[in-house]
Amino acid sequence: MNRIAIVMLLCISLVLAPGYSVANPGGNGDADRDYSCGGSCHGDPSLSMQSDAKIEISLGNEAFYGQAVAVHVTVSEVSSPTNIFGIFILSSLNGNSDTPEDYGWHMIQDPNGGSSNYIEMTMPSSGTITATWVMLTPEDLGSHILYAEIHHGSYGGEKAYSGVSEGFEVIVNEVPEGLPGISSDWVAPSFRVSGDDSPLHISTRNSTDISVEWMLEGEWDPISAPVQCISEPGEEICNEWEVNIPATMGEIDIVYRITTFNGTFSIEQPWLKMGTAAPPFEGDIWSARAHSFAFALLVISILVTLQGRLSPVIQREEIDQTKIVDKSPLIRSDDNPGWLWNPVAEEWVEDPEYREEVE
Amino acid sequence: MVGSATLHTAMAEIVVGSMVLATICAIGCLASRILTPSEINSESLFITMDRASLAGSSLALLFLPVAIMTGNLAAEGHAESALLYNKFVYSGLALGFWSAFVIGRYRMGPGLWDVRQLAILQAATAVSAFLMTSMASSIGGKLVRGESLFDILPFWLPSDSAAILPLWASSSLLLLGLISTFFVFRLTLPRIQEID
Repeated sequence: MNRIAIVMLLCISLVLAPGYSVANPGGNGDADRDYSCGGSCHGDPSLSMQSDAKIEISLGNEAFYGQAVAVHVTVSEVSSPTNIFGIFILSSLNGNSDTPEDYGWHMIQDPNGGSSNYIEMTMPSSGTITATWVMLTPEDLGSHILYAEIHHGSYGGEKAYSGVSEGFEVIVNEVPEGLPGISSDWVAPSFRVSGDDSPLHISTRNSTDISVEWMLEGEWDPISAPVQCISEPGEEICNEWEVNIPATMGEIDIVYRITTFNGTFSIEQPWLKMGTAAPPFEGDIWSARAHSFAFALLVISILVTLQGRLSPVIQREEIDQTKIVDKSPLIRSDDNPGWLWNPVAEEWVEDPEYREEVE
Repeated sequence: MVGSATLHTAMAEIVVGSMVLATICAIGCLASRILTPSEINSESLFITMDRASLAGSSLALLFLPVAIMTGNLAAEGHAESALLYNKFVYSGLALGFWSAFVIGRYRMGPGLWDVRQLAILQAATAVSAFLMTSMASSIGGKLVRGESLFDILPFWLPSDSAAILPLWASSSLLLLGLISTFFVFRLTLPRIQEID
């Protein structure tokens, strides 16, 4: 009875051990997503709860027509902390076609180095996350609204939390004719392969010159990078540039800032980030298959050999020398029943047949 | 129409379930022969565990190639990451260990548990097979959900980086495996008999 109770208790403990969760604790990955993720758990009222996190939006620089602007989203005071945070930058809360790009913004770089309006970040121990999107302002002058939304779970995993900021107004100001800036076609590269020192390509507009400063993330002293124009020679305006930024290794991130020039104009663009990616994986599917079956066959060979070596049946066969005795030129003598004379070794050996007759 | 990824998950679940049963019973068989007989450690319990381990491992061995094939289809002909490459390799190792376990038990019969060294080898084979299959399954979890049960364990077999062999090298290794298997069975097949 006692044993049954222990088994039952063990089974119930095992069933209750994993928490109830319908979530994707590993996240869904960075992507362009609309408000509430198109019917995900976080957007379902029966599965979600309002997050009590404090969400704030701020601008890194004043917004001018067609110029890059850094939009900072700060998330803090989360009472149900979780490992991964999903953060959106949105232009409306309609639920469809509400990414900033749908409203005329152009994404230069997201906080993870890509170009998505939804990104996932890990919550630091400080409990405050600041994510920065660098975008080109829309062509329409005047007021534009931005929202930040967050999605997260909790350690218990029982609910999908969702929170959204107040609308943040960005006033896009008019600029003088010919103001230099970043091209609306250009997207900042998110990564370079480890060890790659090929020049970085930058597209600008209305620029006669640019300068680029770079530093490793976490440093404070930027270094100027050599820049060269790759547009047609002889033209005063150059909008295609190559910049030599040193290669990086490991998991190092480089931050760099472009300054565009045209006459008396000198426009500092927001800081951009470029990570270091591992070299692309070069494994071949057929190699993996052959590798896999080769290991299977080698393991079988080794283990079956070991089984053979340890098997007592084989050992018995090795010890049994009846056949050898049968073929040897041993001489049977009636004077010594049960014994055979070996003329080579000059000794008497037991007669196995005689023993069998006795038995 | 069921997608290959869904079918792969179903097959993997059958393999893992059967394998857990087989591994626990194999360890139980070894323990049964090491520990002194008692009311709990009875001969009938030993026979049950021996048969359960054989049935579980045979079922795992039957479904493992299906799981590998559906996994191949789900991978859509790409070994695009070290994790996926390692999943192939660990699946092959699992197939090897399970095959050796079933071959040994089938050829030598339940009497193998009476020979201490063979019993230890057989139980170690089952545990290794369990570890390899668990690793392959955990990599599946890492690929699909970004997390694995192995995350909470203090150890983790290498999976983030892979020792990639060029096709000629892995083909040569496969040829070596085929030749060695042929010779091993050719030399040991007539010799190993069921242990009384």
